Amino acid sequence: MANETNPLLSIQGISASVEEKQILHNVNLDVAPGEVHVLMGPNGAGKSTMGHVAMGEPTYTVDSGKIIFDGQDITDLTPDKRSRAGLFLSFQAPVEVPGVPLTSFLRAITTGREGLDMKRKEFRKRIRSLADELDMDRAYLDRELGVGFSGGEKKKVEMLQLLLLQPKLAILDETDSGLDVDALSVVSHGMKLYQETCNGTLLIITHNTRILEHLSVDRVHVMVKGRIVAEGDASMIADIDQNGFEQFEQAAANAE
Amino acid sequence: MEARTLNNVSAMPAPTWHWLHMNDATVEVPEGLDAASDFAIDVAEGTAGAFDAAMAAAQEAWDAEHEGYEYQRNYTDEQAEKLGGTSLSAYQQGVDEVEASKDLARMFDMGMGGDATAYLREVAGTARVIEAKRGEHASASVRIAGLDGHANVAALDIVAAADSELDVCITVDSPTPGTGLTGSTIRVFAGDNAKVTITRVQTLDDSWIDLDDMGLFLGNQADVQINQTVLGAGKTYTGLAGDLRGTAANANVVTRYLGHGDQKIDFNYTLRHHGRKTTCDLYANGVLAGTSTKTLRGTIDLIRGAKGAEGKETDNVLLVDEGVHNKTVPTILCNEDDVMGNHGATIGHIRKEQMFYMASRGLSQKQAEAMFVSASLEDAYIEAPNDATREAVVRLGNKLVDGFGELVEDNEEELA
Ligand SMILES: Nc1ncnc2c1ncn2[C@@H]1O[C@H](COP(=O)(O)OP(=O)(O)OP(=O)(O)O)[C@@H](O)[C@H]1O
Ligand SMILES: [Mg+2]
Repeated sequence: MANETNPLLSIQGISASVEEKQILHNVNLDVAPGEVHVLMGPNGAGKSTMGHVAMGEPTYTVDSGKIIFDGQDITDLTPDKRSRAGLFLSFQAPVEVPGVPLTSFLRAITTGREGLDMKRKEFRKRIRSLADELDMDRAYLDRELGVGFSGGEKKKVEMLQLLLLQPKLAILDETDSGLDVDALSVVSHGMKLYQETCNGTLLIITHNTRILEHLSVDRVHVMVKGRIVAEGDASMIADIDQNGFEQFEQAAANAE
Repeated sequence: MEARTLNNVSAMPAPTWHWLHMNDATVEVPEGLDAASDFAIDVAEGTAGAFDAAMAAAQEAWDAEHEGYEYQRNYTDEQAEKLGGTSLSAYQQGVDEVEASKDLARMFDMGMGGDATAYLREVAGTARVIEAKRGEHASASVRIAGLDGHANVAALDIVAAADSELDVCITVDSPTPGTGLTGSTIRVFAGDNAKVTITRVQTLDDSWIDLDDMGLFLGNQADVQINQTVLGAGKTYTGLAGDLRGTAANANVVTRYLGHGDQKIDFNYTLRHHGRKTTCDLYANGVLAGTSTKTLRGTIDLIRGAKGAEGKETDNVLLVDEGVHNKTVPTILCNEDDVMGNHGATIGHIRKEQMFYMASRGLSQKQAEAMFVSASLEDAYIEAPNDATREAVVRLGNKLVDGFGELVEDNEEELA
């Protein structure tokens, strides 16, 4: 089991590619339980790819390295098993699933999960209170998953699932992007709630330093061209905010 | 009774390539089924012979309106000769011959036709009449249950006189276990300005075969709405034919289907537009899972003289498993210039991004499939026209999806 000295998520020397094109190069990244990590980097650096590889998307081939989660090697597990092991990925671009009402989907993803397999009534109450918490109109619960939802609404649905599933670790891939001020504070509130109520661990991928203002960040990782090129404490955020990624790009070029 | 093979069932009027194997269906009736016509109906028997009387009256009215009218053949014999004599397809020749007869009863078709209509009539015996007299509003519910070891068939004549409204719900279910066949063969007459709605919901277990045979006649401004929901049965054959005879008659057909396990579902629609400004809309929407097979033939025939007619057909299907078979042949036949015909089909697969998304939330392939099946049943529950049908949907739902009954009950409470 993980404890303070053992990371909850340990990405060890992961290289990954899609259709012969290598995207991730020997990525190492450890997140200890209860911590908040931030992954930053320019567009196209490979941040989302890393999140998807951690979750087990079959599109990507892992060429080398391994992923340890909660003391278990999950490198070869299918995504559904990783999810049931307590890993969560909030999608940068959540997909739509026509024909399936949101409530039915939420019901299906909680079924058979230890501690979450609630009675129907309880489940109803739970998702309604989460919708209220996230300032979502309850009517969305009866609509088809994602269909006709705005960008911001889709992100709220991701947060709702995070709070419903209470994973051990959540990778939030730009959950804050494209949100108006109100939605931003809702998502921010959701993250706090996740930390407080589930003792959550977060790996936040973002371009927006605002969302980090209300969180105590333990560690920052910078990815450029598929490599982790710098790491440091929360003070790096202000630095990147001011000076951008240029300073790291040389390091990435040298590593190639 | 011995085993029977019903040939040439639900045939397309204008056949397509033979090798596609979808010009018609063959129905194998298993041996040993006794004939029965045991169904529940909640209204009194209508006037005997009402359908034929209504058709005869319609013929008289049509003749009076069309004095001196001669059907214009698609090609004269000389034209056909000039074109090499072979260009006149057997289909058009057939149409020309029937149309030229100006005999409405002869032009009235049943959707299954072939050996099937005859078989169903033979099993069911005399048709039961459901009637709405002129200006009346009436409704009826019919319940056909699978009878073990039987072919249980209802023959109905649904007759809505001018200016009437008639609403008929038909539930086809198998509340007790067994094997056999269920069926209905229904003739529908919608007089001038009549409004007819027929809803048929089928929730049989997969040890049953269901035959759904229907034919429509629509007078001036008649408006017919047909709702068909196919959720169960190992094999289902649905055949619907319609004659949009009167000016501005309208037929809407909404079909919902769910294929699961090893089910075979066969649909055939043939709507013939004779009247001016007639409109039809055939809309099918379904989910296919497991190794189910669906075939849909939809023919809209815009007959010469049906000026301003518009027909539209759509089939939206979601294939949730690699093992399913889906065939759709939309056909618009057109011998008239001033008409509009549209068809569209969208075939959706679960894309791999969607699969990954669902998997990332903990759903295996099997669980994802079950979720689509459940959603489709929930939809049928919500759309169910009456309590009997709702109960039937729940009965089947509980067999296919764990906890389905509780799920919909919860939704009920939610609405209350
Ligand atoms: N499935 C794929 N097929 C082909 N190329 C891909 C695929 N997924 C990612 N890539 C490529 O890998 C690189 C990294 O993409 P990724 O989406 O991980 O970047 P990112 O750091 O998340 O960028 P952004 O900040 O814009 O979201 C890009 O060049 C992208 O085009
Ligand atoms: Mg990204």
